[in-house]
Amino acid sequence: MPIIKANNLVKTYKDPKDSNKYLKAVDGISLSINAGEIYGILGPNGAGKTTTLEMLEGLKDIDDGTAFINSINVSINPYQVKQVIGVQLQANEYFDNMSLSELLNLFSALYSSSNDPMELLNKVNLGDKASAKANELSGGQKQRFSIACALVNNPLVLFLDEPTTGLDPQAKRSLWDLVLDLNKMGMTIVLTTHNMEEAQVLCQRIAIMDYGKIIAEDTPQNLILQHAPDKQREVISGNMEDVFIALTGHGLRD
Amino acid sequence: MFSKPQAYLTKVFIQIFLRNKQYIIFSLILPLLILGIVGLNDGDADPIDIGLVNNSESNLSQEFIEQLTSNNIFNVIQDSEDKLRTDLINGDLMVVLIIPRAMNIEVDNLDIKLLVDKSQTQFIQTMEPILNQSLLSIERKITGNTPMFKLVVEDVKSRTLSYIDFLLPGIMAFMLMNLSIAGSGFNVVEFRRRGILKRLFVTPIKPIDFVISIVIARMVIVLGQLSIIFSFALFILDANVVGNIFNLYFVIVLGILMFLTLGFSLGSLAKTQESVGVLATIFIYPQLVLSGVFFPLESLPVFIQPFAEILPLTLVADAMRSIANDGLQLVDIYSNFIGIAFWIVIGMLVSTKLFVWKEVAG
Repeated sequence: MPIIKANNLVKTYKDPKDSNKYLKAVDGISLSINAGEIYGILGPNGAGKTTTLEMLEGLKDIDDGTAFINSINVSINPYQVKQVIGVQLQANEYFDNMSLSELLNLFSALYSSSNDPMELLNKVNLGDKASAKANELSGGQKQRFSIACALVNNPLVLFLDEPTTGLDPQAKRSLWDLVLDLNKMGMTIVLTTHNMEEAQVLCQRIAIMDYGKIIAEDTPQNLILQHAPDKQREVISGNMEDVFIALTGHGLRD
Repeated sequence: MFSKPQAYLTKVFIQIFLRNKQYIIFSLILPLLILGIVGLNDGDADPIDIGLVNNSESNLSQEFIEQLTSNNIFNVIQDSEDKLRTDLINGDLMVVLIIPRAMNIEVDNLDIKLLVDKSQTQFIQTMEPILNQSLLSIERKITGNTPMFKLVVEDVKSRTLSYIDFLLPGIMAFMLMNLSIAGSGFNVVEFRRRGILKRLFVTPIKPIDFVISIVIARMVIVLGQLSIIFSFALFILDANVVGNIFNLYFVIVLGILMFLTLGFSLGSLAKTQESVGVLATIFIYPQLVLSGVFFPLESLPVFIQPFAEILPLTLVADAMRSIANDGLQLVDIYSNFIGIAFWIVIGMLVSTKLFVWKEVAG
């Protein structure tokens, strides 16, 4: 039973160069994502990944097509959908002069609920930063904090938009562990990424997008078999990053 | 009626403001300084220096000079024409009067020369009638005519209005405008640019929740700031307020509401932080000059007055002044309320039409 079901999603923008022309940022995307799955969306910049996520999240109007999350129609009841999803955005800036625990209390209140900020911070390994300000955090800490913010409403589905972009290997691995832990507890996770290894390690299924369309969708294993069978036979299965991690260790540096 | 998210967001907005100590101090320092300087220097006006060259030795000229000197508006400085001309050019004097040699009863139609700096037009306009009046009364004395008419000036409002009393409502209205515009327009653009607005709308709050919270928070903040200035003027500088203070606060609340909605419109029109700064300047500066905050509206050119009268700041400043200085009731200033309501509607239309709340991603 899919928890996310999307049919022929379309998002059209006016062409900034020619106001008579229209560009389709998302051009007829259909998705079916199962409960408990980690689903990855890959694609070059401008392929329409973020726009697709934001339509599912109720942040952008759906110009055409339908989307359901947990059987709730996103176009008709966006506020009900927002109650059951957690979202990590690419930009994660917060109000100045507020501590992490105050921000988490704020986000809980916006769902008309309350949640123990310490519990959330411990979950993402930021227990000692409760009274720090968001702008004092390092890149990896910021990403983990934004996941904590996305968890305040105990969501069924967690959307992560390029969660590891710009992180050092330690921070990246620590974030992967967090994602896998959350998934183990039953959370459905949809993420976009540019990192092929990340997609391969985390995702049970991957969709590859380009020019607003899904051009391939399968498990990582099947995608490799279909599209890069020769590479599969190469003996080396590790890569430079494994070497780097082996040499510099798993410990977080920030 | 007030939901938990709204209440919490309001609390957070106030909290953020209270933690920004630097902003609080800077927003209060200018009005406090202006009022302080005016309030502490609110005695009689200094006499105006005027130069006088006496080329005549007649009794008549002596009498004229005595008349002028006895008038405490002027401080008469007698010297040679050359010396006084230089002072006039240097700007040390406003006018120089030259009494001709032939000033006596036998000569009719005598010209007394007035040397002026033409750039001081307004001052000259004030001077001329006073000088003419002095000459006329000397003339009467000499010819032995008793004047037929005498103008007795009586203030029907029978109160003493010092400059600080005049200035206080205007300064408060001006402050109210700045703080409200900064609190809505600037905030929205900044929150949108940094992606904070988008982060908020990931949660199930509606745009209206955000707007209500920011309006209430700003209302509390601006009322607090104005009350500090108001108390300073009332209790430290002994400013007088003739009308009802509750009525005054009623106008203030409406004014804040109006400028917040107009601020949201500016924030909606502007795409970037820079352009909101420019837009706010375009919005604020003409009003500073044209709204009668520092100078009475009547001193403006006639063709611009109808325009000046409908400016948002004019409506608020005038309403506040009518209450604070003239003790008018709310019903007496209903036309101001119509104007304020008009601007609130405009502000709401512009900000809801132009601010694409859904596409906060930008």
